[in-house]
Amino acid sequence: MSATVATGPALETAAAGRVGIVRRLSRRPAAVVSAVTIAVLLLLSLLATPIAGSPTAIDTREILASPSGAHWLGTDDLGRDVLARTLAGGRLTLLVAFGAMAVSMAVGTLWGFVAAAAGRAVGEGLMRAADACLAIPPILLALILVAAFGASSWTLALISGLLLAPQTARIARSALLTELRSDYRLAARAVGVSPLRTVFGELLPNASPALIAQASLTVAWAIGIEASLSFLGLGVQPPEASWGTLLQEGYAGLYRSVWLTVVPGVAIFVAILAFNTFGSQLQQALDPRQEER
Amino acid sequence: MSAVDPLVEVEHLSRHYRVGRHHVHKAVDDVSLTIARGETFGLVGESGSGKSTLSRLVLGLDTPTSGRVRVAGRDLAELDGRELRRQRRQMQIVLQDPVAALNRRKTIEQIVGLPLAVHERMPRSARAERVRELLALVGLPSAFAQRYPHELSGGQCQRVGIARAIALEPELIVLDEAVSAVDVSIQAQILNLLRDLQGRLGLTYLFVSHNLAVVRYMSDVVAVMQRGRIVETGSRERLFTAPEHPYTRELLAAVPEPLPHAREIEGAR
Repeated sequence: MSATVATGPALETAAAGRVGIVRRLSRRPAAVVSAVTIAVLLLLSLLATPIAGSPTAIDTREILASPSGAHWLGTDDLGRDVLARTLAGGRLTLLVAFGAMAVSMAVGTLWGFVAAAAGRAVGEGLMRAADACLAIPPILLALILVAAFGASSWTLALISGLLLAPQTARIARSALLTELRSDYRLAARAVGVSPLRTVFGELLPNASPALIAQASLTVAWAIGIEASLSFLGLGVQPPEASWGTLLQEGYAGLYRSVWLTVVPGVAIFVAILAFNTFGSQLQQALDPRQEER
Repeated sequence: MSAVDPLVEVEHLSRHYRVGRHHVHKAVDDVSLTIARGETFGLVGESGSGKSTLSRLVLGLDTPTSGRVRVAGRDLAELDGRELRRQRRQMQIVLQDPVAALNRRKTIEQIVGLPLAVHERMPRSARAERVRELLALVGLPSAFAQRYPHELSGGQCQRVGIARAIALEPELIVLDEAVSAVDVSIQAQILNLLRDLQGRLGLTYLFVSHNLAVVRYMSDVVAVMQRGRIVETGSRERLFTAPEHPYTRELLAAVPEPLPHAREIEGAR
């Protein structure tokens, strides 16, 4: 790869490192498909109301209707359009998931970086703490946290983010440790770069792709947690629609009108698969040893 | 050995690592040496003899277990973090692996300009200009400024590493196996570049290598290291023609007869 680059004409000055990753990703069909799926999901969620109409509009003549021209995916037991509710639900679910991702990345990256940079005792302590968090069943921990903070979309994002932070901390620590051992970091020290500038100016750009991959995986997990907790009535509260609450509403009439559960179920499945695939594709593209296989 | 104007003074320097509960590994053990201003001090020994540890101690990149290092009269142990970073203007390093020593996500301009950005207050345009001067000094076209390390060959990367090391016009440069990872056909070019720069900029080199021919070509004074200790120090002529210590003799005898490259290069001088 680098051989062709070296002999070619002068490259554009824009970050070639990043361009390299985009190019490597574009050669992986799974990465392209998952990226497109994510883009479509985001677009549909953003344009939910213009596309499918209001998620709360009630059509009393069409209760529990099957899919038709007027209601592509049918209606629920109050005569609300299932497509409109699924898209609106996706908006909230993705919002909560991205919020959780932001919390997880902020807390987890700081956690992992401190563990990597601190002395042995502190670092080990922080990582054993992360292990301890990961050893507790997440739903159980979520139950406790919901009991403490109450149930709403915002606390859900916060709780999911905190639940996922230890995993991020591990990734962040190992990513930074790799860079800390590198020769160019020694060179930066020898030049006289201050420790803070070394971490943020020199090491972070090299560690960030691993963190971006982790962010994508975190979104996938957060969607799962949102759906689980809302399904249990511990997350998003009706009448707000999310994929989790839709699943719960549909579950009550599972044997009468199966699409009420199938539609949000498929949405959750596709979204988690897309974010998971994209994250792991990115991880693999970043690892040249895996790339060669 | 003229100790008239010492730039580096190392006194009874040790660096011990604890291995397990009872064993102590003495990477550097009671080493003393003096490097005079403007000379090239060759440090030779087999791998694991403590050369690299010693070179890092001299630059204050590692903390000694005991002993002291003075560079330009200043005891490195007495400097706090900030003063040590300022002291780094005076002393730089060129590492063995030329590609790994460069941040892969930075352009050559950013890499060579980093010491300037840290130590010199100058506008960006002036820095870019200075980087181009430095690249010219190490024999690289200025168009390389916008490239990334992976677009360059190993030899070119090592020239970038050298440009970074001389950016602040330091007095001391530690060359830690600086040509060992470079293709043999390029080694002579890099060595000649280093000698040329030494003449122009009045540099002092601590030249660390396991390669006797290369050390012989570069050094004024040579020290032989074995298991953390310096077993013999002497001028190049004396050490290579009349080695005193048995280990030095052993090292010289282990080189395939009779250093043909060193002879050729020296003859050409």
